[in-house]
Amino acid sequence: MPDVTQKAEAHLSLKSRLAELTQVRPWVDRLAAEHSIPEATVFAINLCLEEALSNVIRHGYKCETHHSLTVHFSATANGDLIFTIEDNAPVFNACEFTESPAPASPDEIKPGGQGIHLMRKFAGSLRWEPLPHGNRLTLGFNYGAQGGEPR
Amino acid sequence: MQIAIEEMGGGVTRVILDGRLDIEGAAAVDLKMNVIGGSSQLLLVDLQKVTFLGSMGLRSLVVPAQAVRRHGGKVVVFGPVPMVEEVLKAANIDTLIPIHHELSSALAALQ
Repeated sequence: MPDVTQKAEAHLSLKSRLAELTQVRPWVDRLAAEHSIPEATVFAINLCLEEALSNVIRHGYKCETHHSLTVHFSATANGDLIFTIEDNAPVFNACEFTESPAPASPDEIKPGGQGIHLMRKFAGSLRWEPLPHGNRLTLGFNYGAQGGEPR
Repeated sequence: MQIAIEEMGGGVTRVILDGRLDIEGAAAVDLKMNVIGGSSQLLLVDLQKVTFLGSMGLRSLVVPAQAVRRHGGKVVVFGPVPMVEEVLKAANIDTLIPIHHELSSALAALQ
């Protein structure tokens, strides 16, 4: 059995403004340094957090700036990295969101709307739970600290 | 996020992006990219120095590329780092903007 003893935790609180997302990368960089997370995994984490958090701010909170959201981080000794995002936005299950079919031609590629698609591609796991007044989205990554596969 | 524009001869415009194409970076270059898309016929987007690409950054590439194609031009991407290339491919952007890792092949694709 892998050792899944909890190794560390951290927490980030944000206001519902896109400008607040500038706090995410330095926070992830600190975690990456503390946990020796490989560059490709750091890239995937930053990508998924930016997509998830900006979706909540733009679509969940409709860019109203008086809300808040939190990101909780935990790591285990076997390299599992878990980021849990909680908000108070209307219920939205990102895991069941139906993506548009692949474009038939390059000119039909939509400039936006790729966020959930990218999260599904770059996160190792994605889980959604409803909260009494919001949503909890859990993004999992694994960088194989004890010999596992990345992401 | 930095953006530089270079006319390469043969009608090719090279736009060199440098930094992170995240929400903040995309906002910094969107207007210039849209102007470039509206005025270029042969566009080479140099991503060698782009270290991050998110969905808002994709928008900064797709909108001008589709503008160039609408007026009969061509667009290529040159030199993305592996993770940036992975995002481009995950989003099918490589079907709109072919990816090249050699400048000579990028320029040849524009002719």
